[in-house]
Amino acid sequence: MSTFLHFLVDGLRPSLRGGWLYWLWMLFLLALMGVTAWNYTDQWNQGLVITGMSDQVSWGFYIANFAFFVGIAAAAVLLIIPAYIFHRQDFRSVVLIGEGLAVAAVLVAMGFVLVDIGRPDRVWHAIPLLGRFNWPASILAWDIVVLNGYLLLNIAIPMYILFKHYQGKEPDIRHYFLFLVLAMFWAISIHTVTAFVFSSAVSRPFWHTALLAPRFIVSAFTAGPALMIIVLQLIRRFTVYPIRQSIITMLALILTISMQINLFLAGSEMFTDFYHETEHAASIHYLFLGLHGFSALTIWIWTALAFNIIAVILLMIHKTRTNMVTLNIACVLAFIGIWIEKGMALVVTGFIPTPLGEIFEYSPTLQELGVSAGIYALGAFVFTILTKGGIAIELDYKISA
Amino acid sequence: MSKNRKPVPSYREDTENTDLARRNFFKKMGLVAATGTVATIGAGKVISKQAWGGATFEDALGDFFQDHYVRMTDDEMVDALARIERKARRKFGVEIICEDTRPIPGTYFGYALNISKCRGYRDCVTACVKENNLGRDSQVQYIRVLELNEGDRNLEHSDHYYNPETVPTEGKWYLPVQCFQCDNPPCVTACPVEATWMDDDGIVVIDYNWCIGCRMCMAACPYWARHFNWTEPQIPAQELNPNTDYIGNRPRMKGVVEKCHFCSQRTRKGRQPACMEACPTGARVLGNLLDPSSDIRYILENKKIFRLKEELGTEPKFWYYTDEARARS
Amino acid sequence: MPLAALAGDDPFWLPSDKGRGLAPQVAADRFVTAPSGAPEPEFSRYDNRLPPRVPPREDQLIFYPCSQCHEFWKTNPEPRELAPVHNVGLQHGQGRLWCLVCHDQENSDKLQILRSGQVDFNESWRVCGQCHSARQKDWYYGAHGKRVYDWQGEPERYNCTHCHNPHRPPLIQRKPQPVPPVRAGLEPMQVYFSQQRLAVLEKKQAQPVENPAHE
Repeated sequence: MSTFLHFLVDGLRPSLRGGWLYWLWMLFLLALMGVTAWNYTDQWNQGLVITGMSDQVSWGFYIANFAFFVGIAAAAVLLIIPAYIFHRQDFRSVVLIGEGLAVAAVLVAMGFVLVDIGRPDRVWHAIPLLGRFNWPASILAWDIVVLNGYLLLNIAIPMYILFKHYQGKEPDIRHYFLFLVLAMFWAISIHTVTAFVFSSAVSRPFWHTALLAPRFIVSAFTAGPALMIIVLQLIRRFTVYPIRQSIITMLALILTISMQINLFLAGSEMFTDFYHETEHAASIHYLFLGLHGFSALTIWIWTALAFNIIAVILLMIHKTRTNMVTLNIACVLAFIGIWIEKGMALVVTGFIPTPLGEIFEYSPTLQELGVSAGIYALGAFVFTILTKGGIAIELDYKISA
Repeated sequence: MSKNRKPVPSYREDTENTDLARRNFFKKMGLVAATGTVATIGAGKVISKQAWGGATFEDALGDFFQDHYVRMTDDEMVDALARIERKARRKFGVEIICEDTRPIPGTYFGYALNISKCRGYRDCVTACVKENNLGRDSQVQYIRVLELNEGDRNLEHSDHYYNPETVPTEGKWYLPVQCFQCDNPPCVTACPVEATWMDDDGIVVIDYNWCIGCRMCMAACPYWARHFNWTEPQIPAQELNPNTDYIGNRPRMKGVVEKCHFCSQRTRKGRQPACMEACPTGARVLGNLLDPSSDIRYILENKKIFRLKEELGTEPKFWYYTDEARARS
Repeated sequence: MPLAALAGDDPFWLPSDKGRGLAPQVAADRFVTAPSGAPEPEFSRYDNRLPPRVPPREDQLIFYPCSQCHEFWKTNPEPRELAPVHNVGLQHGQGRLWCLVCHDQENSDKLQILRSGQVDFNESWRVCGQCHSARQKDWYYGAHGKRVYDWQGEPERYNCTHCHNPHRPPLIQRKPQPVPPVRAGLEPMQVYFSQQRLAVLEKKQAQPVENPAHE
């Protein structure tokens, strides 16, 4: 036990060592978290009225980010599959980083849910037996189960591997292989369940499509690798941890294919709704073309579409996919494009027009953005700490092995 | 430390500087902790004053640990009702009565609205706001009256904000919408904590002290019937309706969802809901679907009726009817 | 004549006429069943359904009993246009009706029905039902009209003339109650957008529709 405590302390200790840039980064993140605390106090006292949400658009920026970051979390599985199913040894070294990203992303997603609900002091009502847990009927109940399970899996598996490495031993693959397989399927399930939260609503024709869960998975597999490519390059830049270029190449390939499928699915949605517009196509009409003079989201969705198309072109051309500059551009464009398309454009459009045909638009307030800033920062903060500690232990193990 | 340990590499902490490092570590932590404590106390002050709404510590604790409506014992319910009354006294300076009205056995409510008669006055809306202690500031209204063009049933063409000099306007018809107390309610399935359910008399009720405010039910409702308290509801003390019940119109708090409950505080005692009582044209009819001699049964059996969005399978217990009779063979 | 000073075609002696379309609150214990004691005749039942209890009307009429003036005059049975002092501006039936169709010629305190004799003002609904029988059936069963106080039990319903002015039946036009508010802190939609956008919207509404699904 004392070894485990030593492991924890030694794992956290590297977070307190770093250059001035590192400390600037950490202080910046803490400052953002302070901004969140400040704005959240207002929200706690006054209620969600400080946001731009209304009865008409009752989910906004917070839930948009929630949906997006659950996707990022799910994409960590993309490192596990090549490493352990396709036996690519080069990926073994980055599996832990991917799972660290998953933990950070799940925490961000949970953070956004927590700031979104009206009575966070009552979350204990969702605990089975203590509260009343509407499982299996409520999809949100499923979401609570799968997200917490995923968090546990992604903490337990790396912790086991790292602890073994810390002790100088090689972990026995038979001990954790089943959990890895479970984590793979579980990753798909968290994002499918999140998609079902939306697609189960028969009241919202924009969401009530069988294509929503596939679109979620595919866009997660686009935005996730995009983020990972950039993060791995940063790790390569700021640490001595070796990141093989073959990893980046494969991730770029996954990104390309996923983006192609994502655009295909988006195109399929557009065709189905626009070929012969029914009343149910009102929301997508509003999104792309505006409705009755209201068109706040059109610029966003067309930008997102443009970003996605530019990204996929850059990715499909071999030269630009292998050139790191253009690849990074493509990653950034893809990330932003997916964030808009899956985050704001999906969530807000589902509410416009309302089931009674009213158009009431939404834009996040400054305070809403303030509350969100620190949650992003929390994710980055957790990821930095986990990576710092994990890499230290791994490097130590590699050298001593 | 494990005895397999190799010499410590340079990027790890060396043992000579461990103590110094440890001291520095604790210094840093101390500073952070001190700042943190001051911040927490300061924030705690700010939070505690507002979050408890000026409540006593005992009431706040009681509120926090309060069980779900269907699980509360009689004693717990008595305590909860007393807490609600005390809170209203503190907040509004008004003595209210809060009861726990149970459904009348053998009742199953249905509602019919005569669209030939509705003239768009919105008297129902105003009466509902007054009867159910709806927040004037948080601006929740359970009923929304839609103005549609003659012959058009497309809700997208409706006007919610009509305000002509006089109603009804030529060439328009009016459609009031509120919670339809569906028999197959999507909101009940959606709620992760079972804060909303269909009670024995068919009313879909909400336990306001259990709702966590996730608004999943609002996304799931096809009729836009559920509303959220984005802020603490403000009701002028002289307009507060003091006859309240737990599941119905007692003063609610911010952060919870609420909706039409067929005025359970009235209907479970045999009185008409406020909207039905206020409607000058008698367009609204609430009744017991299980009573074959009731008004509502006659309407459903003899009038041309329809429900909104039938294709969604929600089975609403709210029918619209016209003056025309159904063809009898 | 005291009534000479009271002119105009507003039937001011029916005070609820001012607020036609608004049923007054009536204490639940004052009801009239009709006719008291006597069994309800067959012709005024629908499938054996008896008429509902009704709040009285006579005390709502300012100048009731009418006989306090009318016993001094002989009734002229000739259908004609009446002088303003008594002319209520009859706009019921498009000229097919006149006063003595409903009002009793001999007893000005009563109304009359075709089949048999006199009817109290309290039971004026019996007069209406002679022509509006389908509506009256609906009223018996609760599909028309306004119920008093309770939703269950023995129905008590407001008389026809509580809402409908018998001399000028169409309900009055009225200003509606205020428009629904938007959430505290948010502006209504029209304000969110510039005048330019609003002008575009108005121009679009003036144009012929392109897509019927969304216009």
